[in-house]
Amino acid sequence: MTNILLLNPEIILACAGLLILLSGAFICESRAKLLYHLGIISTIAVLGMIITQALMAGYGTGTMWVIDPAAQFFKFIVLVATVFTLMLSVNYTGIRARHIGTYTALLLWASCGMMLLSGAMDFIYLLISLELISISCFILTGFEQKNPRSAEGAIKYFLMGGLSTAVTIYGISLFYGATGTTNLFNYATAVELHIGDPAYIMGMLFILVGFGFKVSMVPFHFWAPDAYEGAPTPVTAYLSVASKLAALGAMMRIFASVIPHQEINITMLIAILAALTMTLGNLTALFQTNVKRLLAYSSIAQAGYILIGLVVAGPIGRESVMFYSLAYLVTNIGAFAVAMVVAGKTGSYEIDAYNGLSKRSLGLSIVMVMFLLSLAGIPPMAGFVGKFYVFASAVNTQQFLWLAILGVLNSVISVYYYMGIARRMFFVGSEDESPVETDIYAASVIAVTAAATLLLGILPETVMRIVKSCVAFHL
Amino acid sequence: MSLLSLIVFVPLAGALAILAIPKTKIKAIQGFGIAVSSVCLALTGYLYAAFDKTTAGMQFIEQLSWIPAFNINYFVGVDGLSVALVILTALLTLVSLIYSLNITLRVKEFFFWFLLLEAGMLGVFVSLDFFLFYVFWELTLVPMYFLIGVWGGPKKEYAAIKFFVYTLFGSLFMLLGILALYFNSAPHTFNMIELARQGSLLPLNMQIWIFLALYLGFAIKIPAFPFHTWLPLAHVEAPTGVSVILAGIMLKMGTYGIMRVSFPTLPAATKWFLPFLIIIAVINIVYGAFCAMAQKDLKKMVAYSSVNHMGYCMLGMTAMTTIGFNGAVLQMITHGLITGSLFLLVGVIYDRAHTRDMDAFGGLAARFPIFAGLMIIQVMASLGLPGLAGFVGEFLCFLGAFESWPYYVAVSTIGILVTAAFFLRMIEKVFLGPFNEKWAGLKDMNARELIAIVPLAVLTLAIGIWPRVCLDWINPTITYLAGLMK
Repeated sequence: MTNILLLNPEIILACAGLLILLSGAFICESRAKLLYHLGIISTIAVLGMIITQALMAGYGTGTMWVIDPAAQFFKFIVLVATVFTLMLSVNYTGIRARHIGTYTALLLWASCGMMLLSGAMDFIYLLISLELISISCFILTGFEQKNPRSAEGAIKYFLMGGLSTAVTIYGISLFYGATGTTNLFNYATAVELHIGDPAYIMGMLFILVGFGFKVSMVPFHFWAPDAYEGAPTPVTAYLSVASKLAALGAMMRIFASVIPHQEINITMLIAILAALTMTLGNLTALFQTNVKRLLAYSSIAQAGYILIGLVVAGPIGRESVMFYSLAYLVTNIGAFAVAMVVAGKTGSYEIDAYNGLSKRSLGLSIVMVMFLLSLAGIPPMAGFVGKFYVFASAVNTQQFLWLAILGVLNSVISVYYYMGIARRMFFVGSEDESPVETDIYAASVIAVTAAATLLLGILPETVMRIVKSCVAFHL
Repeated sequence: MSLLSLIVFVPLAGALAILAIPKTKIKAIQGFGIAVSSVCLALTGYLYAAFDKTTAGMQFIEQLSWIPAFNINYFVGVDGLSVALVILTALLTLVSLIYSLNITLRVKEFFFWFLLLEAGMLGVFVSLDFFLFYVFWELTLVPMYFLIGVWGGPKKEYAAIKFFVYTLFGSLFMLLGILALYFNSAPHTFNMIELARQGSLLPLNMQIWIFLALYLGFAIKIPAFPFHTWLPLAHVEAPTGVSVILAGIMLKMGTYGIMRVSFPTLPAATKWFLPFLIIIAVINIVYGAFCAMAQKDLKKMVAYSSVNHMGYCMLGMTAMTTIGFNGAVLQMITHGLITGSLFLLVGVIYDRAHTRDMDAFGGLAARFPIFAGLMIIQVMASLGLPGLAGFVGEFLCFLGAFESWPYYVAVSTIGILVTAAFFLRMIEKVFLGPFNEKWAGLKDMNARELIAIVPLAVLTLAIGIWPRVCLDWINPTITYLAGLMK
């Protein structure tokens, strides 16, 4: 079978990573930033390939993976996040020049793992991609050698990650024991045979744990705040977006499409976990004073909202997951970019650093308000349409109306802490009134994400159409 | 672009354009902001003249496909119910901006948020697509948050976030209600006119839940008891110009929403809820009046009088007759004019004396005749003196409601008495009696304040004497609407 070629984008990205790692050993430190650009260029090239193959559909060797528009959609999200992350890294001071090659290569490999993950149709294949993501991300989190918090975050991430991988592998073995295969493609045709088999359901639950960890679903979220706080800010942005959304994409494929959760009676469990995820995420975010931690908890809550779409499943549920993912991508990257710029000037990620920001840079403050409003789900921002979609899917089912109501209550809670940042920027004064400057890389990331946040909110039709056709083609 | 789109998007474009003016050029920002809202008012003036008052249907309709995936349209139009509110919005915004020329703090941002707010409010009143309506509804929230939070009084931050969270709480439930309506229509639609046609087919149980969800959003805005607690805080803390908009326009968004959507779309649920609505209306009237009576702070008193006056409006709505509905809509308009000017007048005295405590004044009438004259006109209008605008609206509300709810109406008259009492007591304390020499150095109203307030006073008189300048525009639509409720 020659359809290994379907993996060309992933292969190219992995090779680009190798190349960059090698060049990192030879390039002089003053020019090391070139490697970031190399990373950006190769990611954009792969992104181009993905876009041209957007409508492709096919099965990989031995049907271990699929290529379908939904997979391509999540690959697109991952790659866009990677480009933004690399751009934010260029002027980030926490990474030493001689490590830039390693850093960039690890980012590319993590993205490669996420791309593989979004098309996975076999649990072994899925495990390998999960591991590729995890190991790269563990190292990336601990990349700031001088910063003890970075090491702490990485260790916590690593320990929790190792545990969850072990549980996942155990789940896969149970699944194999019950069904005699790790392949989901073969399996999907014979789903009725196994309904009610305890080993099988146990296996699926353990596999759910693995995903829950990546998505930072409560109660597997404990690593997230520490890892997010410790990691270099671009990596935090990356973890909160790419890694989470890729895992959600794969989760959607497995639990909402291949083995619908309704059929194995774990719908209520996922619904309760979604409810817990958004509620706990929001309630904890209320008390955060560090912006990175606040955004970490907010991203846990956001995952909760997206999970509503997954619980509802069905076409509209899956569409809402995909739409929300894109809206969340642009919004959250933007918010982290602003946080990075502010911290670059003030040297602090504490929320007090935002005091009087509107006088120091009105543009930055207004854009940050846009991102915060989008996260809170207020029109005319992207996040509103995302929430609208998700709540619409829940209202449509009636059965999960309670999730929509809980989601609504959570949105109200979340406004309090999101607006808390806006309050500091606009209502509170600060002693330091020197203007905050944004470097060209961060500025372009912020400009693009802000424009996308607004555009997705005002003219969501194109993306809705894409999302609908993705779901219609879902293999 | 149709007239209505122009009316909505002129302020929006103006707001964005203001961002381009350097913040040091204060005069340019102020001039531009006022020019934009004047253009907007002129356009609504044209709307008033061109409006066909013989028909009940929607006019100046514009419909464009916006998000076909959800069958969402950019769909705007006005009828008798909304046209007057559109004009009132443009008028009060201009007046508030003129009054707010005395604001020196962060002028650029102030005008930006204010024009954005105007666009949002106008959008709410012209939207005929429920999704669009919701977007505009929320669009008013953010500017108001900043307007209260930056330029407000001592407790501004708390007032701003309380307003924001409270309103968002209601409006998100409204969103769920909207979604429920959408999924229960066939084919799925957000078109308000189509929903009104189909909604009556829904089973009662469903209608009741949807009514409740929508009501939560609307009632918090009105604010209907027991959701009124954000109001005194927000109104008192907000700067004068913003209080005018809050009381004059934003409260009406609630009553407008109920009359535009809840009543025609969910007639069975409306009938089911009527006994509760009338009780809430009576509580608003009586309780609001007594709360106002208890205040020593002028602004707080006016704020609570809004709770009371929106009660009259709800009383008219529960009548379910042409007369009651006419009264309710007229009450929305006149309350906007009267309470708007009362807030401005309280602002006038506060700007000079830096206190709003009633007991601190006395005998102002002799020294400040213009101020006293305007204040007395508006107070008399507010307490319902015949010949002034307030009387007509209140009278129609009571008249309409009396047919079906005589006992409740009887109880409500307590509210009128108390209103008269607290307003007259205020006049006595502030304007009559011995002059407090502490205020001897103060000057009477200046040109800016007069330009802002006199037009409102003139309109108060005009509508009082010849209510048909309003009612003729409202009546055909209201007759049709009341016919639907039969």
